Amino acid sequence: MEKNKKGTVKSVFKSPYMFLVPALLFYTFFWLLPVSLSLIESFTSIDGGFSLENFKMMFDDPLFGEAFRNTLIFAVISLFLQFIFALMFALLINRNFKGSKWFLFIMLIPMAIPPSAVGILWNTGLVESGWINSLLSVTGLQNLIELLGIAEGPIIWKEASGLQAVFMIILIDTWTVLPSVMIILLAGLQNFNEEYSEAARIFGANRFQALKDIVIPIIKPTIITALLLRIISGLQVWLISVMIFGFNNVPFLLERIVFYTDQVRLGVYSYKLSVTYSVFVVAVVSITAYIFIKLTKGKDWSGTSE
Amino acid sequence: MNSAGKKTLFYLAITFIAFAVIIPMMYLINISISSAIEVNDFPKRVLPVLSHDLSIEWDDESSYYIISRKSFSGEYEELTYSSKFDKIETYLITYLNISKTEEEIEEDFIVARNTGDIIYLNYNKDIFNNFGKFFKVFDGASAALVNSIQAAAITILLSMSIGGSIGYALARTKIKGKDAISLGSLVVRMFPAVSISVPMAVLLVKFGMYDTMLGLAIIYSIPNIGLTAWITRSIFMSVNPEFEEASLVFGASKIQTFKKITFPLVLPAFAASSMYAFITAWNDTAVSLLLTNNNETLALLIYKSMGGSASIHYAASGAILLILPALAFTFLLKNYINKMWG
Repeated sequence: MEKNKKGTVKSVFKSPYMFLVPALLFYTFFWLLPVSLSLIESFTSIDGGFSLENFKMMFDDPLFGEAFRNTLIFAVISLFLQFIFALMFALLINRNFKGSKWFLFIMLIPMAIPPSAVGILWNTGLVESGWINSLLSVTGLQNLIELLGIAEGPIIWKEASGLQAVFMIILIDTWTVLPSVMIILLAGLQNFNEEYSEAARIFGANRFQALKDIVIPIIKPTIITALLLRIISGLQVWLISVMIFGFNNVPFLLERIVFYTDQVRLGVYSYKLSVTYSVFVVAVVSITAYIFIKLTKGKDWSGTSE
Repeated sequence: MNSAGKKTLFYLAITFIAFAVIIPMMYLINISISSAIEVNDFPKRVLPVLSHDLSIEWDDESSYYIISRKSFSGEYEELTYSSKFDKIETYLITYLNISKTEEEIEEDFIVARNTGDIIYLNYNKDIFNNFGKFFKVFDGASAALVNSIQAAAITILLSMSIGGSIGYALARTKIKGKDAISLGSLVVRMFPAVSISVPMAVLLVKFGMYDTMLGLAIIYSIPNIGLTAWITRSIFMSVNPEFEEASLVFGASKIQTFKKITFPLVLPAFAASSMYAFITAWNDTAVSLLLTNNNETLALLIYKSMGGSASIHYAASGAILLILPALAFTFLLKNYINKMWG
């Protein structure tokens, strides 16, 4: 408890720090305690002494390497794709064309769909007689695919594996989260004074130069926030992979945690493994966030230093 | 290119992008009202199919009705045959989602027998059939719905009370370490919920809260308390303390002042953060997968419903049920965000 100048019990309760007590208690019990527990668990062996055998066990997981690689590829490529498309659409909507309100409304729909419903939506599409193959067949694209020799007969999407499957998950994720990146960028653009870029264009800059040298540097803080949040949740992908391809087929770090907690019952070993994976994910997330913040500080987005 | 051409091209691009969002949704909606027979149709229709075109033929030799359905190609394909109207009634509702009584069917079908011609009927589908079926096919779906609402309500309560008081302290009092608090709330928001859930399972078992909605709500509140603190801080700062002082000067008590002056002014911020809290709880699958055993939430039930492909149309209607509240709250929030920043 904070020391009070008068020191009486009554004034302690009147101290403004009392407002923070509930939060302090909450985060001590439900955040600090589990976090430190998992740290301790991950560095102790079954019999209780300090050891690194849990990490060895994790590295020995035959799918660890692929899970780690897939997670990084997913986070980086989806971040890149989502940023480019979100910025493009935000700039489009910001032009306030006729019907831009409706366009924004439609573009925001995927953001509102809960992840497990996204899983159902794309599952109904990716099965062999699903709506994606229906769409290809109705629009005649199926003929084109067969003509070009990409596939004979309907494509069996769910048989995709390796990087192909990772790219499919990236596309689905991009479809889903694009609006949330877009809405943050749009908020940044709406605060941006249009006169700056008009001035640049009067002085002879073309549209792209105005965007690169004026618009993006000014809304940079907004961009950094949006991208930081995105890369952190990008590292936490698992649900779409499991709902479409099942466990073990397209592994990700979080998919491993859920797999060892929910699917296998190896008693204490599966608990140790999932805790160790959790600690590993936290480390990856923190390091990525740190690198990201370091990289974006002191450098503007056009590549020239400030 | 002239400007009219540019404009056309621009709107073509816009339409194309919008369709990329609308078409998957249209298919999902159509699958969610599909009958058992339509699920196997290929190609699937993008526009909602609200009725079936049927043809009825009386087979005099075997003395039964042959029922056929118009397919995508326009030809009539035989579905079944029967002479008993109660059997036909069951068939229509089970495989075609058509709810007609025995008497209605008899009245329509008898024409085919009397005239000896093939007759053509257009029967409307009962579009709510699958939603009812969803709750019957998946055990505990209604309990899961109640659980989801409960978890969301507790999350809102926890985030509002704990986060709201931080927000107030940050805006209105001269406490030290405000930067540390802001940084702390960012750190806890960045922490993966799944990583917390694994060790949390052990703790919740100890506290007797494993497999309860309170346990889930605690995890959901971890990022939301920080968010609520941030939203309420900005709104408490924008409410002029002089209003409150004036009210006190004119003899109102502290509680009256809060009820009549402060509360109505900060209400929108609390509404917005409750919606965020609701969406976090409602949408989550991972945490409830790790921290519940029997008490599933609706999102988790939908996730698990992926198993049987024979029931994909029921799973789709469940998904629609899951989407509707999330959609409503997201758009309410969007209006609020526009007000705050626009």
